Amino acid sequence: MLEINLTTGEKREHDITEDMRKYLGGRGLGAKLMWERVPVEVDPLSPDNILYFGVGPVTGLIGSVVNVSAKSPLTLRGGTSNMNGHFGMEMVYAGYNGGILITGRAPKPSYIYIKDKTVEIRDATHLWGKKNVAAQQALREELRRELDDQNFRVATIGPAGEHLVRNAGISHDFYHHAARLGMGAVMGSKNLKAIAIRGTGPVSYHDEPKLFEMITRFYREARLKKAQDRRWGHNISIARRYYATTEGVKNKQLGWDPICDKTNSLILEQQYKVWNDGCNFCASGCKVPSLRRDPPLGPTTAELRHDNVGGWNANVMLPGFDVQVYLSSFVDELGLDNEDVSGVVAWMMECYERGLVTKEDLDGIDLTWGNLPAICKIVKKIAYREGIGDVLAEGLKLAPPKIGRGTEKYAMTGKGVAITSYEPRGSMQDAVDLVVVPVGELHGARGSERWMACDGLTICAFLIRQLNEVFGWDNFAVEFLRAATGWDITHEEWKDMVRRLRFMERCNCIREGLVPERDDILPDRFFEETIYNKYGQPKVLKREEFLEFRKKTYLSYELTPQGIPPKESLERLGMAFVIPELEKRIGKW
Amino acid sequence: MVEEKKIPLLGLDKEGWGVENMPYPKGVALIQARWDLCIGCGACEAACSMFHFGVLNRELSRIRIFRYHLPLPKSVQNVCCQCSDEERECEKACPLDPPVIHYDKEKFHMVVDADRCLGSSCGQCEKACPAQVPRFYPPNYDYSLVCDLCEKDGVRRPQCVEVCPNYALEFMAPQFPQHLERIHPDDKARYLAKRLYPLPKDGVQLPPEEIWGE
Repeated sequence: MLEINLTTGEKREHDITEDMRKYLGGRGLGAKLMWERVPVEVDPLSPDNILYFGVGPVTGLIGSVVNVSAKSPLTLRGGTSNMNGHFGMEMVYAGYNGGILITGRAPKPSYIYIKDKTVEIRDATHLWGKKNVAAQQALREELRRELDDQNFRVATIGPAGEHLVRNAGISHDFYHHAARLGMGAVMGSKNLKAIAIRGTGPVSYHDEPKLFEMITRFYREARLKKAQDRRWGHNISIARRYYATTEGVKNKQLGWDPICDKTNSLILEQQYKVWNDGCNFCASGCKVPSLRRDPPLGPTTAELRHDNVGGWNANVMLPGFDVQVYLSSFVDELGLDNEDVSGVVAWMMECYERGLVTKEDLDGIDLTWGNLPAICKIVKKIAYREGIGDVLAEGLKLAPPKIGRGTEKYAMTGKGVAITSYEPRGSMQDAVDLVVVPVGELHGARGSERWMACDGLTICAFLIRQLNEVFGWDNFAVEFLRAATGWDITHEEWKDMVRRLRFMERCNCIREGLVPERDDILPDRFFEETIYNKYGQPKVLKREEFLEFRKKTYLSYELTPQGIPPKESLERLGMAFVIPELEKRIGKW
Repeated sequence: MVEEKKIPLLGLDKEGWGVENMPYPKGVALIQARWDLCIGCGACEAACSMFHFGVLNRELSRIRIFRYHLPLPKSVQNVCCQCSDEERECEKACPLDPPVIHYDKEKFHMVVDADRCLGSSCGQCEKACPAQVPRFYPPNYDYSLVCDLCEKDGVRRPQCVEVCPNYALEFMAPQFPQHLERIHPDDKARYLAKRLYPLPKDGVQLPPEEIWGE
């Protein structure tokens, strides 16, 4: 692991094999580092916060994922976010397969330059203020001229990160973002504009022929099983979910609106698809950029997926992909998290509709449903923290109390992360999946054991089902780890590694004030307001049923019914050091 | 004296490659890269280095992937196209006689005499090739690395072609003179960027002020 202290300029390398063998890399090691290095209740935007770009023992062999961990400025608790693409593999090639840990704050805008063992903190004043793609290109051009090497991988923050907007993200290669939970703001608070990395070193794994055999066996299967992802990208799920009432409509006021029919992936693909692109060592190639040429919105390009577009569709009453090809990139370029910002805007739209905020409050913006120019204006204000944007940039945890006037009721969030695309009333499983993630309402099953394990190994979670079909999930993990690292791992040890990862993240959040029974909850709207889907069927969540399901999920995750890791497990896993700190917070359990 | 380890082939049980089961060509043939289909996964680099050296190391691969921002990110492949006699710049540029890098007319692929090669300190073949294909890997493998179509005992089964998940590499008899494939990756990127017209090189869209006024 490479540690860089931006305040002093000091760089050190640590051997973290032991910790990685206990906690796995990525999310697990990030949680452990947060526990050790970040004092309780510290301001996430202060130099005391860390920023950890985590990779794991098998990064880059099946999809290349970087898991960014830091204390989140959005939820004020633990934060984690994933970024795919080619950055993770490059870190491994450069020799930092334990990740890169960044502490302190640079005295002036800087970027980190890494080429194998050469690590420098360089001036980035000329890049400060640039939007993401422009910054990445400028940096790559500069490095290309300097070194005649154009294969640098660059991760940057946009203007939103620079202005410490709490839901800013980190971008890499235009459509890979570590967007959630405000990691970009942490990077901006460290005066760090970009990281440019290039690795040419050999990577030696323990048993390379075996690894290669497993990878190519998976390639052959994945090529077929992922053919649909390769064709459409990951936006078909949106249309599907509108019909299952699991996708948000009009800030969760409705279960259906005719505007939902405008979301048609077939039309998107046939009109606008450019080509396929993908990540390291992944046969899917599921990135499908779209290019719209016709005015007025064109020329514009974007890569539309469920996560970045789901919140911008019927949730704010926008009519489908034709518009998203503009909006999604607009938000990405500013360095904002599409999913979270769409939640903030939807909230404001509802408050505006109900008269709780006036046009004057919004600096003259007529924020009606589906008003694309107004959305662009207000998003820009958020990114630059201008006027009302300064309050809205605080995210859905801190902004509603600041505005008050009853707007808190309409902020769709439990722990501070906006619930945008997902509509919990259509599926109890979805609803509980959203709340049991300790760091916040991350989409999908990010709290489930397998997804968390992916964030620790670091591999792409979209391959879980196929890996399970081809190898069996636990078999795959154990065989792969053995072949890559040479550790003699058993199935039990593997399961313990994942347990430590899960428990560590949860303990981190509890230490920062999470009380699972109180905080793992959804806003009242989902229990009190019934919505109707296209066919008139009512959908609502019953509170007792929800709490019961939540308790069952806690137990299936090997937690106590109150959602806390049991003492005996912590002691058995060698994590007894967390117990005194947690007892300070929640008493004995 | 350097030794190359070879490991068994990928072993697909059919008589050709690709989803259509394309037959392996006889005689003069090359690996043709379709840049628009490349998804940048790098499996070709791994397959090549695994076949020739028994390791996973993209720097030891004879097919290389270059990634550009057009502004859309796009990877393109670069591999030796087995030029014909008259066009073979690398052979002409080799300072030794007979040239270290030459075409084997019986086995129908490029060959490098590793023992005689002067290595990266010479590098004339790399400078002469318009696509900059030959590469060196000092200090252990300091000789010109070019595609030999994975030939073993007279049978050519290019591993990169067999592993590519998007069929972006084809193993074909030449449809036109081979050197027309010999394009520098920077130029390949430029040509692909034309498909994105009218997007500018460093912008992904118009600013909202231009669309709706302010």
